Amino acid sequence: MISRRDFLKRTSAAIAAAGAIQPLLGWATEDSGVIPGKEGMIVRSFRFLDLEMPPEYANLFITPVPHFFVRDHMHEPSTLDAAEWRLAIGGEVEKPMTLSLADLAKLEPHTVTNTLECAGNGRAFHTPHVPGVQWQRGAVGTARFSGPRLRDLLERAGVKPAGKHVMFHGLDEVPGKVPPFIRSIPLDKATDADTLIALQMNGAALTKHHGFPARALVPGWVGAASCKWLAEVKVLDKEFEGNFMNPGYRMPNQPIKPGEAVRPEETHPVTALNVKSLIASPSDGASLESRSVHIQGAAWAGETDIARVEISTDDGATWQSAQLGKEHAHYAWRLWSHTWKAPKAGTYTILSRATDTQGRTQPATAVWNPSGYLYNAIDQVKIHVAA
Amino acid sequence: MSQRSRLVLAVLVLTVLAMTCVPLLRAQSPELPPGPMQGKVTTACTECHESRIILQQRLSKAAWTKEVDKMIKWGAVVDAADRDGFIEYLSTNFPTDKPPYEAGKTSAEKRKK
Ligand code: HEC
Repeated sequence: MISRRDFLKRTSAAIAAAGAIQPLLGWATEDSGVIPGKEGMIVRSFRFLDLEMPPEYANLFITPVPHFFVRDHMHEPSTLDAAEWRLAIGGEVEKPMTLSLADLAKLEPHTVTNTLECAGNGRAFHTPHVPGVQWQRGAVGTARFSGPRLRDLLERAGVKPAGKHVMFHGLDEVPGKVPPFIRSIPLDKATDADTLIALQMNGAALTKHHGFPARALVPGWVGAASCKWLAEVKVLDKEFEGNFMNPGYRMPNQPIKPGEAVRPEETHPVTALNVKSLIASPSDGASLESRSVHIQGAAWAGETDIARVEISTDDGATWQSAQLGKEHAHYAWRLWSHTWKAPKAGTYTILSRATDTQGRTQPATAVWNPSGYLYNAIDQVKIHVAA
Repeated sequence: MSQRSRLVLAVLVLTVLAMTCVPLLRAQSPELPPGPMQGKVTTACTECHESRIILQQRLSKAAWTKEVDKMIKWGAVVDAADRDGFIEYLSTNFPTDKPPYEAGKTSAEKRKK
């Protein structure tokens, strides 16, 4: 007899095998492939897995998991057994602990609706080009993450006075002599009421690509802070020293010119997200039949709120306010929409520009930096209006 | 089922499997462009990650030099005599002014009717 779990496993394997026949029969383009549970995603890389959300999906407040972007730095863990999995909490604490998934599930859960964006989203648009995954507009999405607060766990473990930073270590499999993907966040962010050990995403257990069985969720911050396949939380007396804290994920304190050298002590880690907007529709390059154009999208600002989104159809000479959507959560993007009547048939560029409650506004040109982090220039799509 | 028909069935199943897996694998990692270093770069540089990571970069020779040296430090097996050839091959094929790499999309798990 087969168990239900085995049945599910086998079913998905069968579906994957069926999908594998597609290229053979010419149903798919040469470039495509099947990642079970991920449909219609832009493939930046299959190995390591880097999948981008087509911007058209930014018309929903909650991004369905099949359309949520995936950013893996290394190989995903080859074996993950929920029953065997443990989370170790140690370092500068009074009582180091080891918790099972059942232990975590017993703690009071908390839900945070968070827009997660890869620090490198938009990297492809920097000039001159910078190395890294060439994300365009869709390494971003919004989901409801649930699980115990990290703060509750740290309280039980008792952070010693020396504890200043909290390090996350996941189970990613590190190839060759590559440094492991380990990063840390300051203690005050780690003990924020909204920083979680997330076990669920959109009401279901995390899927493997999103960090099953547990991931950190550091709301409003770049995705890299929210370590997947979490296995260890360690309290440190200083920022973690390792490739993915330095030189990785750092920005020059002052904007620099391309090619100009920057001293490590004149850089800081990338933390909270920038103010930014994304046009979900019309799609870039769309041909529209009607002159009445419904423009919609999303806008977010990391730890702060969106104050307004404006649209320009005359290359930024004039701006009209878009209507902000009703759905609202502290760390989540705000949907927006605007209807515009094209004066005549022709080709137009639609620009969207967000401003947050701190007065930060999207710039026409994003601040260039050597790794292309936090790109947030005004978004744009070109459309053709026929009638 | 006789032993013979079992064998025939097994061969059939294996053939179908082989036919389905080969195109999938090819779709999973496009080839690097032809050139004297194609083979060596493919061997050394698609061990940990696939070719798309390389195909989508648009970098200067200085930036490619940094990438190759970083990857060697991280464990890429490149003969010291080949280092300059790798940099030459990568910066010739993936220079800053080449049009962007056209990424594909993941396909649906089942054919949509
Ligand atoms: C030992 C494993 C390994 C080998 C072999 C390897 N790479 Fe990488 N490479 C990595 C890892 C790991 C990353 C991604 C790190 C990340 O995502 O942060 C990467 C990323 C890259 C990137 C993206 C930019 C960046 O620095 O993140 C480029 C380009 C690249 N590799 C080129 C190459 C080339 C060219 C070779 C052959 C000389 C090579 N790689 C061989 C592990 C490897």
